[in-house]
Amino acid sequence: MDTLKAFLRHPTGMIGLVILVAVLALAAAAPVLFPDSPWDMVGAPFQPPLSEGLLLGSDMLGRDVAAGIAYGARVSLMIGIAATLAAVLIGVVIGAVAGYFGDKVDDAMMRLTELFQTIPGFILAILLVATLGPTLTHVVVAIGAVSWPPVARLTRAEFLRLRGREFVQAAVCQGQPPLVVVLRHILPNALSPIIVTGSLTIATSILIESALSFMGLGDPNLMSWGFMIGASRTVIRQAWWMSVFPGIAILLTVLAINLVGEGLNDTLNPRVARKVRAA
Amino acid sequence: MSEVLLSIEKLSVALPKGGDRGLAVENVSISVARNEIVCLVGESGSGKSITAHAVLGLLPPNVTIAGGAIRYGANDLAHADDAAMRRLRGGAISMIFQEPLSALNPLARVGDQIAEMIITHARPRPTRAALDARVLELIAAVGLPEPATLARSYPFQLSGGQRQRIMIAMAMANNPSLLLADEPTTALDVTTQKQILLLIRRLQAERGMGVLFITHDFGVVADIADRVVVMRGGRVVEQGSVDEILRAPKDPYTKALIGAVPGKRPPSAAVREIGGEPLFEALGLNKTFVTRQGLFRPPRRVPAVRDVALALRPRETVAVVGESGSGKSTLGRIIMRLIEPDAGTLDFAGEDFLKLRGAQLRAVRRKVQIVFQDPFAALDPRQKIGAAIASGPIAYGASAGEAMAEAKELLARVGLSESAVDRYPHEFSGGQRQRICIARALALKPLVLVADEAVSALDVSVQANILALLAELREEMNLAMLFITHDLRVAAEIADRIVVMQRGAIVEQGETREVFRAPQHPYTRALLDAVPGRRLFAGPGEAPAAAMSA
Repeated sequence: MDTLKAFLRHPTGMIGLVILVAVLALAAAAPVLFPDSPWDMVGAPFQPPLSEGLLLGSDMLGRDVAAGIAYGARVSLMIGIAATLAAVLIGVVIGAVAGYFGDKVDDAMMRLTELFQTIPGFILAILLVATLGPTLTHVVVAIGAVSWPPVARLTRAEFLRLRGREFVQAAVCQGQPPLVVVLRHILPNALSPIIVTGSLTIATSILIESALSFMGLGDPNLMSWGFMIGASRTVIRQAWWMSVFPGIAILLTVLAINLVGEGLNDTLNPRVARKVRAA
Repeated sequence: MSEVLLSIEKLSVALPKGGDRGLAVENVSISVARNEIVCLVGESGSGKSITAHAVLGLLPPNVTIAGGAIRYGANDLAHADDAAMRRLRGGAISMIFQEPLSALNPLARVGDQIAEMIITHARPRPTRAALDARVLELIAAVGLPEPATLARSYPFQLSGGQRQRIMIAMAMANNPSLLLADEPTTALDVTTQKQILLLIRRLQAERGMGVLFITHDFGVVADIADRVVVMRGGRVVEQGSVDEILRAPKDPYTKALIGAVPGKRPPSAAVREIGGEPLFEALGLNKTFVTRQGLFRPPRRVPAVRDVALALRPRETVAVVGESGSGKSTLGRIIMRLIEPDAGTLDFAGEDFLKLRGAQLRAVRRKVQIVFQDPFAALDPRQKIGAAIASGPIAYGASAGEAMAEAKELLARVGLSESAVDRYPHEFSGGQRQRICIARALALKPLVLVADEAVSALDVSVQANILALLAELREEMNLAMLFITHDLRVAAEIADRIVVMQRGAIVEQGETREVFRAPQHPYTRALLDAVPGRRLFAGPGEAPAAAMSA
């Protein structure tokens, strides 16, 4: 409760939250605001913004840009969240195993993590989607597969720190089995930095998804911001609105998530935040 | 009386709103004259550190001086601006801190750090040669060997005592007239503490400095102070000469504090019923820590425990005494099976405890429980007190209701209210938390209780209460105790038998009275000599009356 109150007093965190709620509302209301599919032709092609019935104009095939942005919000947020959940799940499991068991297990897990960190993430994601085929699930899997190493490293560091703490040793002495010690005592105390990193991972996931769609590797059945920019990039000099509005949508969403993430960081790790302010 | 150097007059320091009290320091008046050591004594939260930090304008953000004056010469330091304070800090007034490792820059050579102090204040700036000579002179003055080699070392290459000497050399760099020392020996071993106290005393006499020395330890006070100021809850309760305060304290709080100093009371009654057959017997315990140091350097090997043999009989309390790095905590953790030894056996009721695995290990484990040093780190901040105590019995198959009822009983037994079960650790003080930790350890009805520096982090009055509680509980529950401590005075109070460890090996063991009366090993004698306050308090094991008349 205190954390919630502190967050509500955090100015930039609140700005981020307001933008994020607006994007969520837009995504939720998309079928009400735009009953037609975003792929339908609703007017003449190349209509500039504020034309009749087309708030943000139309694209080369006469599709409504505003509808595309509303439906694109659903895709971006869904993929961002699903891919982040996948990344956090993989990262926490690998980091926890490495940090709790230490020694040889730790070495093996960390070499695996480094292997993923040395491959350029985006190229691996392209490779995975290109090999597996561009469907929603494969995009989520690909983004998850390239986003987990930082989470794993963070979780490992937290586990290493907490494993030697006296309250954890006390739980071991009380005869609690290892899984209980991990789930009841170590994980809850390691959670706040993981939540913060997770929230920032949503933002990068959205960026990776946009980039994949831009290159034509998104799910072809789903309207997405990256796809809209990619499709209209050839006509950017004649029809700027087709790429600028989806671009602004990406910018605002990613910015909002980053602001919320930073706000969470300041409220969940107040000691770190205070040091920054004092410096 | 000689010339007054520093005069703190009716100083009040305000805490930010929402603190546990409005004023951290209230109406405090203290003076320090040239050539005298004034000890500021108090328990944690008494405002003694805030008072000293206020002198140098080192108060944390949001903490402000609410009233009064701090006169140093013609200046009022309570209202001086930043530039004026900078000229004084490290110049005419310098300060040494508790933890020399965090007060030194880890990435700079110590010689350069001392030189920096001189460069900051000396005008005109001295030549390189003069500077180097002065640095070496300072290092030699604080009693460090081979000043030229030492000046080129980094802080991590030095021991705790050497680092504190470097800090003192830095403080002496500009010949200060006033030295503020904030618990400068608290983080050090007793033998090192004694040397540092002698050094401060010698430098003070040579230079005629005034020293404001902050400490919580009346033993240290007895060794170093000319005058004593006792603080409690932000106010001065009593001040006077060291003999007046220590021999004839007037204020009841001062009396209680001095009464609580461990080792002042006669050592534990010798007539305790102790079982004959050992409860457990450790043989040939060895543990070496190996740290890798990069690809091309051989790994660093630190033998922490070497060939230790130790037996504990039912109802017996054995104190394992030693300085930091002596391996006493590692020994405790091996006995808890928190650290696996490289070699050795631990015979526990006919079985080798160190070989047990899985269910067998769990069955025996509940019979050995531990109380840790730091009560703030030993409780899960996200677990309620009741759950913390009950989860042990629950893990061994007790029903939740039964375990919780027992937890309440135990809490009442250790002196807390039963309503504590629904509260979180942060709502309790250090002493209360240590009581909770004791209740948690006892919930499993152990035969052996390992107390790893269990009272070291506590204030002296709380320490006395916890020691008394442990002494009661061991009678009630027929506990054998392994009491790990660095403080001989504490060991004298509770232990039937003393085991002295040095560099991983046991150098001496015997009945408490015997060890204190006629120590055999030179290291034991050195430890006993270094116990602070022998001038006024009885040394452990001696009759207090004899020491008072001496």
